[in-house]
Amino acid sequence: MPKIVGIDLGTTNSLVAIVEDGTPRVIPGSDGNMLVPSVIYFDEAGTVLVGNPAKEKLIEKPRNTVFSIKRFMGKGIDDVRDDLPLLPFEVSPESEHIIRLKIFGRDYTPPELSAFILRELKRNAEAALGEEIKNAVITVPAYFNDAQRQATKDAGRIAGLDVLRIVNEPTAGSLAYGLDKRKQGIIAVYDFGGGTFDISILKLSEGIFEVLSTSGDTHLGGDDIDETLIRLVLGELEQQPDIHQLQAIRKAVNKTKENLSAADRSEIVVQELQYRRSITRDEFNKLIDPIIERTLRPCRQALQDAGLKPSEMDEVVMVGGSTRIPLVRQRVQELFGRVPHTELNPDEVVALGAAVQADILAGGKRDMLLLDVTPLSLGIETMGGVMSKIIPRNSTIPASATEMFTTFIDGQANVKIHVLQGERELVKDSRSLAQFDLKDIPGMPAGMPRIEVKFLIDADGILSVSAQEQRTNKYQSIEVKPTYGLTDEQVEQMILESFEYAEADIEARLVIEARNEAETVLNATSKGIADEQYANLSDGEKAEITAASKQLREVMRGNDHQATRQAIERLSNATMRLAELIMNSAIAKALKNKRVREIQ
Amino acid sequence: MDYFEVFGLPRLLGIDTAALEKTFHQLSRKYHPDYFTTASPAEKTQAVRVTALLNDAYRTLRHPLHRVEYLITLFGFKPDGSRVPQSLLMEVFEINEQLEEVKAGRASVEEVDSLRAQIKEKRERFDSELQQASIDWDELIKSGAAEAKIQAQLAKLTEILSESAYIRNLEGETH
Repeated sequence: MPKIVGIDLGTTNSLVAIVEDGTPRVIPGSDGNMLVPSVIYFDEAGTVLVGNPAKEKLIEKPRNTVFSIKRFMGKGIDDVRDDLPLLPFEVSPESEHIIRLKIFGRDYTPPELSAFILRELKRNAEAALGEEIKNAVITVPAYFNDAQRQATKDAGRIAGLDVLRIVNEPTAGSLAYGLDKRKQGIIAVYDFGGGTFDISILKLSEGIFEVLSTSGDTHLGGDDIDETLIRLVLGELEQQPDIHQLQAIRKAVNKTKENLSAADRSEIVVQELQYRRSITRDEFNKLIDPIIERTLRPCRQALQDAGLKPSEMDEVVMVGGSTRIPLVRQRVQELFGRVPHTELNPDEVVALGAAVQADILAGGKRDMLLLDVTPLSLGIETMGGVMSKIIPRNSTIPASATEMFTTFIDGQANVKIHVLQGERELVKDSRSLAQFDLKDIPGMPAGMPRIEVKFLIDADGILSVSAQEQRTNKYQSIEVKPTYGLTDEQVEQMILESFEYAEADIEARLVIEARNEAETVLNATSKGIADEQYANLSDGEKAEITAASKQLREVMRGNDHQATRQAIERLSNATMRLAELIMNSAIAKALKNKRVREIQ
Repeated sequence: MDYFEVFGLPRLLGIDTAALEKTFHQLSRKYHPDYFTTASPAEKTQAVRVTALLNDAYRTLRHPLHRVEYLITLFGFKPDGSRVPQSLLMEVFEINEQLEEVKAGRASVEEVDSLRAQIKEKRERFDSELQQASIDWDELIKSGAAEAKIQAQLAKLTEILSESAYIRNLEGETH
């Protein structure tokens, strides 16, 4: 069985983890960091940087440095209009059904952008594990709808990963906490991340983690706290900042927010605007209290759906970076009347849990089983614009429902089914999921065909539909038009296009590696010139070293890694004799010392 | 395969939910798609279908009301939730009037609470009626009653479901 990794594709940071010898661990990147910031930087030449190198470009290159892309997954332009004023991105006009960010004249959808992050994690895992990684479990917020889950799966495919399972983040969190060591119990997982909030109530019995209910808000997280602070700063500025300054404010308030988790007082310092302001934790708490209050409503809903009182929880687990905020811990403790678990690093919990689930799928752990639920009711549009629910929220998945359809006109060949998600009564208040077009219905008088349509939500929480005409036993062909998201053909196209990007990625990597090596060689050369042995070189040799150094310094700034390599080669050759002389003299010195000691 | 068959149960309405849960967990350990990652595509699809059926069955049978709703459909009966319960015609008329006041925001907190209590009391009356009718159903089946009696009991269960569905909708509107 090839290795399966667990991936936490986060709003702010992403991680990859694996279970080895029964223990999950996070795999660090080449720079040794466990967290890969979910930031992607593009330059004019088509180079793409992901993670920390990209994060450094946030202020300098705001237009082409993408962050928090998870908030756009499975969304259309109308869903995010309120966020856009505070974001530096250029949105393509063709963003009605799927948001497209325009970067150097090319449109990128959120799954394509997320795929860059996934590819980086895949590479990190491959470098650390020494084998190709093709299979992954990827986590999503429990409250993600069908389109958001599908978008995540699409991102995996574009990145060349077979996504074996989409796992809900709070559920993964509970797996990571090793709570299976207690045999029975009710667990509440409060997951407050960078962009999303989830609450899940689980019942644990003999290794079976059964989710009883889940609720949340896929647009509520640390980003909202940052934005509250950004608005505070904007209100105190005399002029409207440009996008560079806006990003500088974002960075500054984020730092202040983190400081205030440990200190009672901090400062917001924006060098670029010569802005400086002191802020106490009390002031901060007052500002963010409405945001934290918004997390408590889903908590109460989940408890009600599970038919449980807050006091009936045996354990409360905290997941996600925003749970570091003292006021968050205080509010959760007040609600449940118990001190929540915070032992594990809240940034790593979800990735570790994803690795545990990956291990279950790989056949490593058969005593554990996760039974998750669908967070939203599934329904179909019926007469009068009413949504008729066919699979209620909090149903254990996989789940299915069967409905009968017929025709209204003699010889009618097509029937359209509009599928929705949500809890509201009317179609207009629900989230449209897709239009399913049943085609080639056998010619019969109106009302005669009996078409049995089966709606199936799989273990990833993603819907599929099949239909069979009962009189003829004929399976109907169905055309699916997702309301928000990509068709299969579009995903295929993106996979093809991503190959050229994979090449561009390799190119960028080679350029960076060549530059690093050039710097090493240039440093060594400077040291050599400073050495006393340099004087023993001929004038011709010295001139060649000077010329080769100059050439290398020039070409290494460009993107031609082959030219850089050639210049490195030339300089290495030019300094060969110098290196020999230095080496010989060092050996001679070492031997001399030795002889002295031996003589003594 | 119907939901009772999934759990190897007769078509009775009295179900030991603790035993049901135990069987549910045992069957989940056997068929869950998580254990079929390396299986053939056909086996994978089968695992998803079987587990979906198992989950649908468990969701339906563990809940006393859904259990009755499901049972009657197996015999071709269907409740009608849009009909006003005949036995409550006048009371429902009054409740609806009060509900209008609540919706228009003209009712006080006490009035809303009192209305909710009224509706709840009626819903609970239906719940106990349904409970009794369910016990009667099990008795009839176990004693091998005549077809006519079984049909009459199914009609009675359907009637109670229809009337309680109306009250349940009203209850939903006050929350």
